Amino acid sequence: MTTPPRRRPLLTLRAPIARRSAVALGVACWLLFFAIWQFAVSAGLVTELLLPSPFKVLSTLVALLSTPDFWIDIGASVLRILVSFALASVIAVPLGIVMGSFRALEAFFNPFMAAWRYLPAPSFIPVLLMWFGTGEGPKIALLFVGVVFFLIVLVMDYTKQVRPEFIETSMTLGGTRGQILRTVIVPAVLPNVVVAMRQMLAVSWTYLVIAEIVASTNGIGAMMMRARRFLHTDEIMAGIVVIGVLGLLCDMLFRIAHRLLFPYIDESAR
Amino acid sequence: MRLKLERIGKTFPGPKGGTVEAIRDVSFEVGGNEVCVLLGPSGCGKSTILRMVAGLDRPSSGTITLDGRVIDGPGRDRGMVFQAYTSFDWLTVRQNVEYGLRLRGVAASERRDRAAHFIDLVHLTKFADSYPKVLSGGMKQRVAIARTLANDPEILLMDEPFGALDAETRWHMQELSIAIAEETGKTILMVTHDIEESIFMADRIIFLSRHPGTVAANIVPAFKQGRRWSRKEDVLELPGYAELERDIMRLMRQQAGAETEAA
Ligand SMILES: Nc1ncnc2c1ncn2[C@@H]1O[C@H](COP(=O)(O)OP(=O)(O)O)[C@@H](O)[C@H]1O
Ligand SMILES: [Mg+2]
Repeated sequence: MTTPPRRRPLLTLRAPIARRSAVALGVACWLLFFAIWQFAVSAGLVTELLLPSPFKVLSTLVALLSTPDFWIDIGASVLRILVSFALASVIAVPLGIVMGSFRALEAFFNPFMAAWRYLPAPSFIPVLLMWFGTGEGPKIALLFVGVVFFLIVLVMDYTKQVRPEFIETSMTLGGTRGQILRTVIVPAVLPNVVVAMRQMLAVSWTYLVIAEIVASTNGIGAMMMRARRFLHTDEIMAGIVVIGVLGLLCDMLFRIAHRLLFPYIDESAR
Repeated sequence: MRLKLERIGKTFPGPKGGTVEAIRDVSFEVGGNEVCVLLGPSGCGKSTILRMVAGLDRPSSGTITLDGRVIDGPGRDRGMVFQAYTSFDWLTVRQNVEYGLRLRGVAASERRDRAAHFIDLVHLTKFADSYPKVLSGGMKQRVAIARTLANDPEILLMDEPFGALDAETRWHMQELSIAIAEETGKTILMVTHDIEESIFMADRIIFLSRHPGTVAANIVPAFKQGRRWSRKEDVLELPGYAELERDIMRLMRQQAGAETEAA
């Protein structure tokens, strides 16, 4: 005879919980957040002008999404991310890989990169505005500067983690320096390059909003600053929601790409 | 084929700016079609010796020659199988085995044929198009062995190739390696610290002592009657096996004893 399973208390140390309970708990936290927010507004604890109700934000968002202007702002923001991130990657990925492969190149570039990395990218905004005027130039440049140095170092570190036995195996099979770089180091580090890009894309969104708030007439950030002038708090919050959703979407796309591009990775081994 | 180590020494930079003498005055030869096992307690310099033969490290003194040519770097005449798994995880089993051939531009059809032959030799035909992630540890080592053999080296170097495997898989792999040595006629220089493994596999055992590592004994297991046995239990029950195992254990213990006294 088997004993019936005893119900464990919800807060058992380290014990796994059912997937359904996990989802329910996650949703509950959000519901609580919206409930408190709604209550604060309904009870008059906050002025609706400064904090509109969640329903108001939602309806504004829906209304905005049906105007072409809003889509143009979204398009402008996404385009800036794409262009600047592509530029940064085209430089950072190959450079990071060769820096991680050859000590001399690391010794040459790294002290230079390290200094730039610790300069906050937004401190370049005034000078970027002077150099590039008010067009797309300064925004792309800010996003580029904010991402490229970190991406180089991430890729370099991942490259250094390529297992030495892989490289030595290729050497004993007759691999030349160039062949080892092409047929061992690059394919071995590629999955982590995609991880590094995913991490840096999130940073890219941060600089985008800064660039658009400080120096732009279009894009989601600029839209939010316009809304501020007319005290349209609901539009500002709709903008925040859109930025959040877009960031999440990018992250998801990278995760899916990672799974599709590298089906050979043994997830259980991590 | 003749591999010759003449008075090899190797010192490494040690802690606090000093040097550590890993091995001293090591000389031995490995000849055609021989399965030679380097045996010794861990830390006695077995890997160091094998890596120098592979050309991955340089001796501090002495010379290593293969058929008279001085070894001064890695080359495909000396194939290496490491203890750690080295199957390239982004390549299928077949692509792994074809890897060395691809490096030197062997035509696709010949590559495929050679790879198929060696994949069959290590019993992995069913897995030819699988990625290493679905393979067990023993299968991954078989991929590494097939990949090295497909490249047709003069000598196969193996550094504790079965050290990470469970006991049963280990003796299967030992038997498979003997079968491969018989079938291909390859010269094999293998490193182990497992006495039983060394006696079963070896045509000749080079026993190393420690600190610094040096050749303490050159043992031919004569009780095997000059032949290789395909089943391990057949060797274990031969008269003479137990004596040799005991003698080698005594050698190991003398080592350990010398250490404790020194300490
Ligand atoms: N790269 C290295 N740097 C410093 N010391 C090393 C290095 N490689 C090996 N040694 C030292 O040389 C000795 C022999 O090492 P190793 O050849 O790995 O022994 P084994 O393979 O027999 O266990 C050890 O004392 C080890 O600490
Ligand atoms: Mg070792």
